[in-house]
Amino acid sequence: MNPLFRKYFCITVVAIILAILPIAASALGQEYYISLFSRVLIYAIAAVSLDLLLGFSGMISLGHAAFVGIGAYVVGIFFYHSAEMEPLFIHPFVVQGSENGLIVIPLAVLVSAIFALIIGTLSLRTKGMHFIMITLAFAQMIYYFFVSLEKYGGNDGLSLYSRSTLPGLDLGNDLQFYYLCLVLLALFLFFATRLVNSRFGIVVRGGSNNERRINALGINSYFYKLVCFVIAGAGAGLAGALLANQTEYVSPGLMHWTLSGELMVMVLLGGLGTLFGPVLGAAVFLLLEEFLAMYTEHWMLYLGPFLIFVVIFAKRGLYGVLVGGEKSNG
Amino acid sequence: MAKILLEVSNLLKSYGAIKATQDLNLKIKKGHIHALIGPNGAGKTTLVNQLTGDIFPDSGRIFYKSQEITRLKDYQRARLGIARSFQITHIFSNLTVAENMALAINARSGHNFHFWRNSLKSKSVRQNLDHSLARVDLEHRAGLKASHLSHGEKRQLEVGMALVGNPELLILDEPMAGMGSGGTVELSKLIASLKGSVTILLVEHDMDVVFSLADMVTVLVYGQNIFTDSPDKVRKNKEVQTAYLGESTDA
Repeated sequence: MNPLFRKYFCITVVAIILAILPIAASALGQEYYISLFSRVLIYAIAAVSLDLLLGFSGMISLGHAAFVGIGAYVVGIFFYHSAEMEPLFIHPFVVQGSENGLIVIPLAVLVSAIFALIIGTLSLRTKGMHFIMITLAFAQMIYYFFVSLEKYGGNDGLSLYSRSTLPGLDLGNDLQFYYLCLVLLALFLFFATRLVNSRFGIVVRGGSNNERRINALGINSYFYKLVCFVIAGAGAGLAGALLANQTEYVSPGLMHWTLSGELMVMVLLGGLGTLFGPVLGAAVFLLLEEFLAMYTEHWMLYLGPFLIFVVIFAKRGLYGVLVGGEKSNG
Repeated sequence: MAKILLEVSNLLKSYGAIKATQDLNLKIKKGHIHALIGPNGAGKTTLVNQLTGDIFPDSGRIFYKSQEITRLKDYQRARLGIARSFQITHIFSNLTVAENMALAINARSGHNFHFWRNSLKSKSVRQNLDHSLARVDLEHRAGLKASHLSHGEKRQLEVGMALVGNPELLILDEPMAGMGSGGTVELSKLIASLKGSVTILLVEHDMDVVFSLADMVTVLVYGQNIFTDSPDKVRKNKEVQTAYLGESTDA
């Protein structure tokens, strides 16, 4: 089969499955799957954003969960202040809480991007192992900051009494929420595909392969990596904002390094540097977690060998198994 | 007398006790092909890396077009018109040949913060891609991933990328390294065709290539410039013969 045809065929099939899944689930009376797959879609957004770092720009970040957590907390904190009818802060200007999705979701993306800018500015001065450790250190710092933030629940986190409001949509309805996540994932994938093939994209991809050569061409690779880091952080922030809505709960656990590790596993499982692969990776990871956990609490014991098997025998992960052929950047 | 494009004065670089570059002086005239030869470990690549800003000298100064560039970073020097190819092939093996060339073309035309349009469809790429590839005989390889090129083709791509944007000074660090004789002839022809339009500093082991192409030859031994003159005089010089060419001066 023509590899390009095979690729679009696979993507179309997955898209159709995701599109009709909630309808089928409702028809079969298995509404539970709608919320499970909402989670899959949200984690997929986070995993795709991490793939921009791991698979395309060669930045091995072990602190990606920090941006998921920050995005979630922006939604959580604004909800809290809205519910308590207490302004977030008064100086230098008054900021009130909000439950409006049109405000809090973009704001979550923005705040995550700002944190990514700060963390990236400092972290990107280092390379290799040091970069891994410094991203991990920043994420853990933010984790412990929120653990000690008693006002917002500390270790116990914050409960939201309802989801964000959006005009024309009822996010409290699982079906509508699912489709919102699906549309946002599709948009993010489309944007990411354009991004990696753009002028900016080849600078970043080239830089991951040979940074010295990029500089010899007269391009300061630092700023390109930084912008890529910020874009990935913003994507994770979007995922965090959706996750807060999906579970109606935020906690520091969202920033813990184990979540960064899980996102990394999703990317590797699905296929590093493939964009669509991490969607498969997120789906397989969460479904395995869900079903294996029914039988044993030691489900990781079964996931581990499976992951090793995929990483060794499928060079481009599950995406490579499905699509095969040469790496073609999504 | 032709203008001096690049001037190096009293350059010094040491790694511990080893003096990789010792009190080195060098002038490269505009329009020349200036060859740099010397035995292994003479400090040729160390010198090149100091000229391109990959590493910085301990002392001494470097002037390019009468402007001091000693402390400028690699990407800043590239913007001034100093292009290089590396001794060990430095292409982006994860990108296609066309994308490699597009990167070099884009690097010369403003910033690269364009996030949406396909990299191969920008105006400057559409205008320059075909002839940039044709110049190094790679137009039929455009869609191929660079890692799949033959060794000679990778070198051609590397030189082609250095040539994009018409640099004033082109530094070629052993462009023929590891090439078969067919490839050497091809690349020599390419370098000869550039003569006059771009100043070239050619670091090369192949003496046939050096003596047929160069206007000036500098002999480097233990990090020192022991002799700089025309190829004929270098060939006849006793000191050079003993230091470098050894017994077999028929090279």
